[in-house]
Amino acid sequence: MTPLVQYILTGIAVMAAIVFLLRKFLPKKTKKSCGTDDCGCH
Amino acid sequence: MPTIADLKLGQSATIIDCSSEAIPFKLLEMGCLPGNKVKLLQVAPFLDPLYLNIDDAFVAIRRDTAALICIEIDPDE
Amino acid sequence: MSKQINVALIGNPNTGKTSVFNALTGLNQKVANYPGITVDKKEGLCKLSRVLKAHILDLPGTYSLNASSLDENIVIELLLNKNNKDFPDVAIIVSDVENFKRNLLLFTQIKDLEIPTILVINMADRMSAKGISLDIPYLEKVLKTKIALVSARKNTGIAYLKTLISNYRELSLEPCLNASSIDPTYFDQLQSAFPNQQLYKLWLVITQDVNFGKINRQEMDVAVFKTKSKSDLKRLQQKETIKRYQFINNVLKQGQTIDLSKAKDFRATLDRITMHTFWGYIIFFVVLLSIFQAIYDWSSTPMDYIDASFAQLSEWTKATLPSGVFTNLLADGIIAGIGGIVIFIPQIAFLFLFIAILEEIGYMSRVVFLMDRIMRRFGLSGKSVIPLISGTACAIPAIMATRNIENWKERLITILVTPFITCSARLPVYLIIISLVIPQGRFLGLSYQALTLMSLYLIGFGMAILSAATLNRILQFRSKSFFVVEMPSFKVPLIKNVAITVVEKTRSFVFEAGKIILAISVLIWVLASNGPGDSFKNASTIVKQEYVDLDSYQVDQKIAAYRLEHSYIGLIGKSIEPLIRPLGYDWKIGIGLVTSFAAREVFVGTLATIYSVGGNNPDTLKQKMSAEKRADGSAIFSLASGISLLLFYAFAMQCMSTLAVVKRETNSWKWPLIQLFGMTFIAYLISLIAFQLIQ
Repeated sequence: MTPLVQYILTGIAVMAAIVFLLRKFLPKKTKKSCGTDDCGCH
Repeated sequence: MPTIADLKLGQSATIIDCSSEAIPFKLLEMGCLPGNKVKLLQVAPFLDPLYLNIDDAFVAIRRDTAALICIEIDPDE
Repeated sequence: MSKQINVALIGNPNTGKTSVFNALTGLNQKVANYPGITVDKKEGLCKLSRVLKAHILDLPGTYSLNASSLDENIVIELLLNKNNKDFPDVAIIVSDVENFKRNLLLFTQIKDLEIPTILVINMADRMSAKGISLDIPYLEKVLKTKIALVSARKNTGIAYLKTLISNYRELSLEPCLNASSIDPTYFDQLQSAFPNQQLYKLWLVITQDVNFGKINRQEMDVAVFKTKSKSDLKRLQQKETIKRYQFINNVLKQGQTIDLSKAKDFRATLDRITMHTFWGYIIFFVVLLSIFQAIYDWSSTPMDYIDASFAQLSEWTKATLPSGVFTNLLADGIIAGIGGIVIFIPQIAFLFLFIAILEEIGYMSRVVFLMDRIMRRFGLSGKSVIPLISGTACAIPAIMATRNIENWKERLITILVTPFITCSARLPVYLIIISLVIPQGRFLGLSYQALTLMSLYLIGFGMAILSAATLNRILQFRSKSFFVVEMPSFKVPLIKNVAITVVEKTRSFVFEAGKIILAISVLIWVLASNGPGDSFKNASTIVKQEYVDLDSYQVDQKIAAYRLEHSYIGLIGKSIEPLIRPLGYDWKIGIGLVTSFAAREVFVGTLATIYSVGGNNPDTLKQKMSAEKRADGSAIFSLASGISLLLFYAFAMQCMSTLAVVKRETNSWKWPLIQLFGMTFIAYLISLIAFQLIQ
């Protein structure tokens, strides 16, 4: 496994981590909101 | 008129009126309906919540809810 | 080629519905999420025959189709929407012998929707003990259904149930009761306004606040609402309930006989003991202490084993795979990250084991009863007890456990304060700091160190209660109270149910928390393994020049420390140093605080690297730490700074995984951000005061 391959693999792993965290923590556009105080279901 | 909140430990009664809007409807569906029997089984400290046998359902409710249900206390056996 | 049908399992809570589900699906089940709503979707597969499979949905327990909470809404939404892909081909209503009358209310409602329905009477093995006997053929005739007498516990009746499901087409679609008779004029109007819709379904749409399929609510409002006010509708609903019970009582007069002389009843005695005004609390306290003691004792061996195994795996990876950047990431970032998650599995699994057992035997409801009044003083509910206890393992499954709190305000406050409870990730930090700065000695037979640890637990709990009370004052929104808790009968726990629950809860911890911890660990590794400028790149040369007469192992440690200091993370640590100096910390501790954002326990590993400690020797680390000095010669880890650090970890919100879960459960960013800034601010303030005072 050449150093280049290592770098590429690392790059992929890091990118995956960043993308994952961004998706978890950034608001998505479609969210059926229920659970706030004035949604009327409780 | 006495309510469930006025029951003493071990006392039984018959439910007369539970039409108050503030009573959780679920309670009615569990058997808290006019004509059914209710008995006070246990009370937590500060008299809240109350543990009752309502029409053979074993339920705990808060005191403020209990105060909304009018009853007729059974005469002592 | 086998066909698949949809089956819905519906029933009151505490009827053993889940046991029936488990008996039908075995391990072929999974828990997912209903889209947009924080309710668990439990589904599984059951093989009925060679050509027929059943996709079974275990719906949340409910007492009737009049939903009063989020999860009860799920049931009615499913049953009103024929286009839902899970809409059942056959519904199974699970009832139990002891609460048969009450269970039948839901049954008659489902029948009114004209869905093929099977009635399961569970806990059939308890019939003789309770002196109950049922006339099944009569009941089947009058209720217009097929009945299966089942004991999930003894595994009887399941095979027959499967046959009934397979023959679902033979089930009658007739309702057993004509609900429209409660107000014939109104219902006639209703039906003529919407001739194509089923009558009872229309009624439910009007009376419920739910999302539904094809009917446009606006149309309904205009056409029909005009004729009835909200309170009129409520009165009609009450009439409906009364009518249904009248029907049920008539049916049971002939279909059920109870011979009280045969009934053996321990329930009354057990209730009196467990819910006793004085002894009830003592018993609860003892139970709690025993659980914590057991968890502590049982988990130390597995934890040591996991710790050692992952360390070995890491070493092996470095030795076996070709050396390079990715190998390092694998060994130090990924494997170490996963190890940090796995090591908490024993504690968490044990805690959930105990909680699951207490729930299965029926004790938990009694605890809710005992604690409700006290909890309400602080804006919490009796049902908050379970999340607060679970928080001692990990806040994530604890916060998910708040779903059964009906009152939104009480639930929100519980979610917000649970992270103050001392979770297991804080322990490694506590233990090392305590052993470093707290003196030896005893007080009333307990060592100072043990007392400090206990105090930290108490402080965590105290802060949770205090914040709850404060939030209760500040948050001004009315939410309806629905506190109605049924006390189930005491039962011997079914091992299968307990096991499945524990696996589920542990899995949620590992994946919810785990994925985030892993991702952040990778990022932190990147920031720690790279640095700007030449100092980082030439670390090896610089260190070797300076420390000529150390052996290669020690030199390697020094190089690692130098690298960390000059990496991006090191820069971050140095830049926050002015902020944390008033708390008694230096930039090295600062780095540890930053890495704790992945998971709190990472702090210890980070310190090990900073102080050039290789391997897993805690004593070496402690020696190094106690030798650390400030510019003026005093120790960095003094009593003052140690206590300050302990308090900081007690109160600060560092756990990103928790924030993610809070966001999901409250469906907004507002609350997790308030938690983040609020808790960290409190932590900063208190640590500051502590350090300045004790110094």
